[in-house]
Amino acid sequence: MAGEIELFIHSQGAKPKVAVAGPHEVLRDVLVRAEVLTEDLEDVLVFVGEWEEALIESGEIEDGEDAHHPVDVAMTIEALELHHHRHVHVHKCKRIAVEVHFNGRAKRHRFSPATTIAVVTQWARKKFDLDPAAGADYVLHICDTTKQPRPSEHLGEFVEPPVCSICFKLVKEITPQG
Amino acid sequence: MDKPDQRLFAADLESAEFRAGALKGYWGLAGAEVLPEQPEWPVRILWVQSATRAGAPDRFFLRLDLEGYRAVSPTGAFWDLNTGAALGAEKRPKGKEGSRCAKVFRTDWEGGRAFYHPYDRVAANGHPNWPTEQPSLIWDSNHTIVDYLEEVRSLLNSGDYLGI
Repeated sequence: MAGEIELFIHSQGAKPKVAVAGPHEVLRDVLVRAEVLTEDLEDVLVFVGEWEEALIESGEIEDGEDAHHPVDVAMTIEALELHHHRHVHVHKCKRIAVEVHFNGRAKRHRFSPATTIAVVTQWARKKFDLDPAAGADYVLHICDTTKQPRPSEHLGEFVEPPVCSICFKLVKEITPQG
Repeated sequence: MDKPDQRLFAADLESAEFRAGALKGYWGLAGAEVLPEQPEWPVRILWVQSATRAGAPDRFFLRLDLEGYRAVSPTGAFWDLNTGAALGAEKRPKGKEGSRCAKVFRTDWEGGRAFYHPYDRVAANGHPNWPTEQPSLIWDSNHTIVDYLEEVRSLLNSGDYLGI
């Protein structure tokens, strides 16, 4: 159909899905079709886009919080400008409380579930005053696991409500040797 | 009929993770505009976007052997579409001396036929110590081509990437 676009639908604890939608379709119908939403909303929140607000947060702010607002799923794909945003996040957590540990210190921020790991990593490097060139080798590692999420993954994929928090360590990537 | 590994790879090219990256211009399968025909399975030629550096291209092509995908990890190296052969050392991306970027893209090991990275089959097979040293980079069947491409793209966009 003319004007159809690909959307990437993210939900808690699951791999993202691709959905195709027309500009005049209502977002709720698209999400029901993709089986990430039932007819009753079950207290879930829906966010669109990839949120990067934390990157402009001043270095002095402690325990900051994003201001990403959920959208009304009765709106159309066109009205929500999804041809531009592309990503849709369905989540029970309005914010995800992130704690990042590095060199015996910790920094905290309440992120939108629509935040990529790349943004959280960049925020953490800035908060810990890592030199931009040297800091590029530092990546996020989920506490008490061996998991190092990919930069393009979204925070919402790593938490299972009612737990809306996650702990990371900022670690230097190992250079292969031997 | 396509083989199971080929079908799984084709499905992963349609996944949200691959499609979202492709839409952002991060990576893609080499298309008809640059390659008349993809090689026979299990080989595929893909491209990965790289940061702007003077005299260097804005993307590099990879020739990957995907035999046994995803149970077995891919292996491969940079590819020259013009010559239909492995990219010459002088045209390969370089990293700052001693950096992770320089190590992964090294050409003085195995003739540069594989990436020196735990996700690469040839490199992993030759380094039984890596799973202990780098447990977060152990390839298993939950990994996809996106994990591989994202590692290469991260290096090609790092501060340590110098160009060619």
